[in-house]
Amino acid sequence: MLTGDLARPRLKRRGDQLLIDSLPVDHARWRRTAADLIVLWREQVGRSRDEWEEAVERYLDDRVDYLTVRGLAKVLADEGRFEPPATAIDPEALRERLFASGPVFEQGDLFHPQTRAERIVAVAHELDIDAAAMEAALYADRPGAQIVTDSGPDWTPEALLTRYNLELHRSALYWSNRVEVHIYDTFKDFWRYLKLFKLMFEAQPIEGGYHVALDGPISPFVRSTTRYGRQLAAFLPALLLCQHWQMRATVYLSAFERELIYQLDHTAALTSHFVRSGDFDSQMEADFAAAFQEKLGDERGQWRLTREDEVVLLGDTVMIPDFAFTHKTDGRRALVEIVGFWHPEYLRRKLEKVRSAGRDDLILLVYESVNLSADQLRDVPGEVLYFAGKPVIKQVLAAVERCAR
Amino acid sequence: MQPMSDTLSFQGGTLVISQRPQSDPPGAPFQWIKGRWRCEGYHYPSLPRLDLRDTVPRWQRLDCMLDDTHQPHDYQQEAVAAWEQAGRRGSIVLPTGAGKTFVAIQAIHRANRSTLVVAPTIDLLHQWYARLGNALNIEIGVYYGGEKIVLPVTVTTYHSAGDLIARHGNQFKLLIFDEVHHLPAPSWGETALMSPSPFRLGLTATYPDDEEMGDGRWQIDELIGPIVYQKRVSDLVGKRLAEYRTERIRINLTDDERQQYEADFAIYAGFFRARHLRETHGAGWLRELTRLSAFEREARAALLARHRILRLLAGCAGKLAALEKLLRENIHEQILVFTESNDTVYTISRRHLIPALTHETKAAERKRLLEAFRRGEYPAIVTSKVLNEGIDVPEAKIAIVLGGTSSAREYIQRLGRVLRKTGSRKAVLYEVIARDTVDEGRAQRRRPKARAL
Repeated sequence: MLTGDLARPRLKRRGDQLLIDSLPVDHARWRRTAADLIVLWREQVGRSRDEWEEAVERYLDDRVDYLTVRGLAKVLADEGRFEPPATAIDPEALRERLFASGPVFEQGDLFHPQTRAERIVAVAHELDIDAAAMEAALYADRPGAQIVTDSGPDWTPEALLTRYNLELHRSALYWSNRVEVHIYDTFKDFWRYLKLFKLMFEAQPIEGGYHVALDGPISPFVRSTTRYGRQLAAFLPALLLCQHWQMRATVYLSAFERELIYQLDHTAALTSHFVRSGDFDSQMEADFAAAFQEKLGDERGQWRLTREDEVVLLGDTVMIPDFAFTHKTDGRRALVEIVGFWHPEYLRRKLEKVRSAGRDDLILLVYESVNLSADQLRDVPGEVLYFAGKPVIKQVLAAVERCAR
Repeated sequence: MQPMSDTLSFQGGTLVISQRPQSDPPGAPFQWIKGRWRCEGYHYPSLPRLDLRDTVPRWQRLDCMLDDTHQPHDYQQEAVAAWEQAGRRGSIVLPTGAGKTFVAIQAIHRANRSTLVVAPTIDLLHQWYARLGNALNIEIGVYYGGEKIVLPVTVTTYHSAGDLIARHGNQFKLLIFDEVHHLPAPSWGETALMSPSPFRLGLTATYPDDEEMGDGRWQIDELIGPIVYQKRVSDLVGKRLAEYRTERIRINLTDDERQQYEADFAIYAGFFRARHLRETHGAGWLRELTRLSAFEREARAALLARHRILRLLAGCAGKLAALEKLLRENIHEQILVFTESNDTVYTISRRHLIPALTHETKAAERKRLLEAFRRGEYPAIVTSKVLNEGIDVPEAKIAIVLGGTSSAREYIQRLGRVLRKTGSRKAVLYEVIARDTVDEGRAQRRRPKARAL
């Protein structure tokens, strides 16, 4: 991610709005800069972080847009890998040894007969290593001495500029204290990443989706903390996985001496580098959808099958059932959750969620191979259907007819 | 299945009751937020009795041996006793140099519970690390940007305390804030609010008055407890007198250096003259120059010229030669070499094979270096900005400053603490500056206040 000082010059204010001065991806000058930097970066494999930073400064020369160029360089380096160089001896142990007998000088004198060169040779001899290798090891544990071992993704100028723009938008969120979003799809990934970045949420259903306010545990108790800015920034690419969304953040930048509004939606020219989960979490879910499609898909039957389109809100967590059945004419709905092969602890949590949901329109399809006794499922509010092999669509539909509301 | 009993847990600086429905309020201070009953961590010791499974405390006993040969002063013992009497909550106010760290060590040892110490700077963090490790004879954790190791006794900075407390706040029964007058700052007070630690100790020489805490956000009394013990300078010992003299050494740039310097200075000074930056922006001139450099080519050129000048002056041949001469002359004394340029520190370290101490040096190596220097095993150390105000720098007879910073306060406090006379011989501070360069101006700005010593 970009540091605040690199991002700041491209954050602007208009009225009470925070605007982000993105780089034009199709601009010839920026494309050339990006292309130059990519070449420069690929040449660094095997060289040190210090050498890379010097190379960037040389490339910059006296350009006034140096903070932007340094930002582009940081995006490249952040996606690469740096490792400490291999050394003939542990650097700290070497320093302890080499510095033990006080200052030395290039020329000896009466009081300091041993010269620097002589000390180096003597200690190298004692340690039985090469003198040049020993000099190289002396400060090899400094951050600047780390070696580029992998230059990361196969960048194109366009990809670099696009990614830079994403990082710029992320950095605006460092100073945010509250983010509110409207989302209309991709609920599962959205909540999966929320959990991953340890953010808290408050969600309410709205027409076709959810209004979700994001912050952290201490936020409700203090006035506008920016403690979770880094987590909110880290989360932004997850929002970009959704097809249709809007975001509104309140941001406090000391330079502007006031709280600003920062808004973004799905029309922004940004792409996520986060991985979207596959269509189905398990083969059982895929099989179920395929079986339904084969028997009752498209125009046939009274029910339409959709995937993870409803979020059951459970206080500080959510449950997102695998499928929903919607009646084509009267709009009645029932939810379906498939319980396949899972770890006992996962099952326990899942059942806890089902119970606290208290929804009698929620149907559990349990594979008999699952280690769940009928006893454990007794006080589940909706219906529970057991199947030895594949769920029988006819039986499921009968349950849907009974439970839908 | 039996319904699970309600559980009280620690979550990111808050206390949360699981299961309990909205219809069954547990009473203040809990509030119904995001589907759970919640409150701030700091309410933990004063919560009403609730029928819950309490998973909050993860603190532990220390059972370590105190290994500190210092005999406590009366006032130090009184301070600890007063704090204990007050239920191990509250602040102790003692003048600088009166041994606040020592008081804290006594308090930790007597409380015998896992402790988090919050210090204002990384330098002070390192000092606490060394002092606690020596006195308690256990391994000490450090948590800041560079290292993150959480142990039963851990030291962190105000800056990193929020992250640490959000994750591990319930592992510490005692929470100590060094220089507690910093606590009212907006994001720093939050840390005390997030912690469930029942024992709290604030240390400072200057307790802020109500007006300074005036934006109404955090009151130290509320977060830490009241002042439990206070002593003024006049109550203790007399002021220490200066124990060193200053010698200034002027060196010449080489012809090449002079040529480069003049060329860069012309660019830099030219821009300043044309723009009257000092007149229009006063002390903020450098920030303004940096701002302008992002869109004006002349400003960018001036900023680059300034960087080149500073780099040239930090490592110029004359200074390195003068340093070599001073090292040779004073080889039997303990010598501290200061330069504000990190690169120059490592150049000197390599050149003379003496230890370097910078912000890159990790806590354990730093502690080892300073202790070896104190024992006289290392006659010389070269360092950048890290040996600062309030740090336990070992005593030295000779300080050599190459360049140095323009901050008069830092300069005086840094050296006043380092240099001690032995017998009748005063310690010496050598200041090495380049003749006819900005060094002279920078040194001049330091002089008037330096005389106040």
